[in-house]
Amino acid sequence: MSVVEGTKGLSRVKELYQDRPHRVKELKAEGRKVIGYLCIYPVLEMMTALDLVPYRLFGDMREPITKADACLPPMVCPFLRSSLDLALKDKYPFLDGMVLAHICDVGERMAHIWRTYKEYPYFYFMDVPHTVHKAALEMFKEEIKGFQKSLESFTGKELSSERLKQAIGVHNDQRTLVRELYDLRKPDPPLITGTEVLQVMVALASIPVEEGNDLLREVINEIKQREEKPQKQAVRLLVWGSIIDDVSLIETIENVGANVVMDDICVGTRSHWPKVELTPDPLDGIANRYLEGIKCPRTFREAALDQGGKNYMANLENRFGYLKDYIKGWNVNGVILQSVRYCDTHGYEVPAVRDYLKSLGLPSIYLEHDYSQSSLAPLKTRVQAFLEVLG
Amino acid sequence: MYFAGVDIGSTMTKVVIMDEDEEVCSRIVGTTGAEHRRLANKVMEEALKQANLPFNEISYVVATGYGRVNVPFADRQITELSCHTKGVSALFPNVRIAIDIGGQDAKGMKIINGNLVDFVMNDKCAAGTGRFLEVISDALGIKVEDLGSISLRSTNKVKISSVCTIFAQQEVVSYLSEGTPLEDIVAGLHDAIAGRVVRMVKRLKIEPDVVLTGGGANNIGVVKAVRENIGCEVLVPEDPLLSGALGAAILGKETVLKALAKGEPVPKKERRLEEATFFT
Repeated sequence: MSVVEGTKGLSRVKELYQDRPHRVKELKAEGRKVIGYLCIYPVLEMMTALDLVPYRLFGDMREPITKADACLPPMVCPFLRSSLDLALKDKYPFLDGMVLAHICDVGERMAHIWRTYKEYPYFYFMDVPHTVHKAALEMFKEEIKGFQKSLESFTGKELSSERLKQAIGVHNDQRTLVRELYDLRKPDPPLITGTEVLQVMVALASIPVEEGNDLLREVINEIKQREEKPQKQAVRLLVWGSIIDDVSLIETIENVGANVVMDDICVGTRSHWPKVELTPDPLDGIANRYLEGIKCPRTFREAALDQGGKNYMANLENRFGYLKDYIKGWNVNGVILQSVRYCDTHGYEVPAVRDYLKSLGLPSIYLEHDYSQSSLAPLKTRVQAFLEVLG
Repeated sequence: MYFAGVDIGSTMTKVVIMDEDEEVCSRIVGTTGAEHRRLANKVMEEALKQANLPFNEISYVVATGYGRVNVPFADRQITELSCHTKGVSALFPNVRIAIDIGGQDAKGMKIINGNLVDFVMNDKCAAGTGRFLEVISDALGIKVEDLGSISLRSTNKVKISSVCTIFAQQEVVSYLSEGTPLEDIVAGLHDAIAGRVVRMVKRLKIEPDVVLTGGGANNIGVVKAVRENIGCEVLVPEDPLLSGALGAAILGKETVLKALAKGEPVPKKERRLEEATFFT
């Protein structure tokens, strides 16, 4: 499918969703350099500031994993297996470089395997601490400095503080616009479906930030003006958990009779909620945003002892308190926790999140799938039964 | 008024027809099978014949089970979890945990005051389901319905270490070649399936009354093994296959009564008693 020139708003979103690399291939042809990255820890602002085009890599749950099984065991994260599989099948010939990070243990090991099998002119592995203590933040800031140096030597340009601050501004604009988009999910029925929001999020991960901001403005205007609205359903759901980069799961949920109105996933609020604070040394703001700001279970945050760190409920509040705002603000009355199979990061988090949701009086269900289309059909009965319980 | 519940499971299709006093006037069990899956209407017709009722006398039809989608003669689809809960609660008002061991899935339901509050389900792997016993009775060269009585003769059941159907089959073959008595192997298999299901259901915190339904409950060896694995009494309805269809019929009745009480029209679809299509 090709992207028709000049399409706007949701039609452009749908085109980009169908053919993600379309725009970066065009930019590549114009001489821009495209840097692939996985997960949401590589610092986008620095790549943007150096005129690189960051392109987020996803897996493909419609494509059977065949090549990656030769170098990754089958009982690890199927999303990462799928991502590597696509690289091994040469789906990314347009990449000039790759940034991987210590997102989780499998992500780290896979990064080294990726590098062994695939060579790019540029490669960087980011070490990301797993706690948010002061020492961890200092260490992470050093790591970001290293990232900056490597980008500078790759591009042959020096990154001025001025230019970086500008890029921070543009990325923060995107974060503001995403919140505006999410506000359209607050009414009952929401003005935009969960499926559409996910498509927008996927599109944003496929184009430069400025273009993404224009696209967001178009989409927000279009939604505000359009007459047809999603159907009102009895249940307003929040979907929590591991990456969702394909609409089929959200579609399955919305088709059995619920409105998905909020998310806590990394192609959604996790990737777009926190902003970079403009600090005198911009690196402080960046380090803080990426390590402390992003609420992913790959980072452990225990309440300090003077904040009741030994008390379970105080800890839960510290770890998941942000969910309360989502639930109240978007009037959520049920939560679907979902994770790909073998994801230790999310799996270990589930009992604690459920305890927290229970303390808020919110029913939840936990679903596991193996990141393939066929694994979603059986989940339908569970989702439907959950809605019947809430009914 | 009459109400019908149609439970199209992976292996068996069950139909219950009842009147408004919940007096069952027809109960039919037929095989679903690959060929007959779309022919659930035949089982329905049989049930109507048994009740001596024409189809248009049935006020409401609820379809459930994994084949519930696209049943052209149903007014409404409700998941088997809600239907089992309803059916089991009607038979055992004090039920807290219902376990259903079906042909291709196993599920556990936590029930409080007749309401479903939580559930667990295994629907992707044959281990812990009727399919497990079918595959293995085939390997042993005996009928699946004979497994229960054979296992009761066991004095020293074997330990099946693998929960995977395919590997368990290999283990069974190696026990056979060692000359292990058949009844000890079968008892070991029942223990394996029960252990697997009970471990899954334990996530719901098991408390009495515990009720076991589905084809698994027709096997006395499985019932015994579930009792041993849970460590408390396990109740079994007279007809363990029918609780889903029964619950579906009751939910149909409740739907109609609720609408009548509110003076609203009964939510109905245009019904045709014809072959079902699946998974459009």
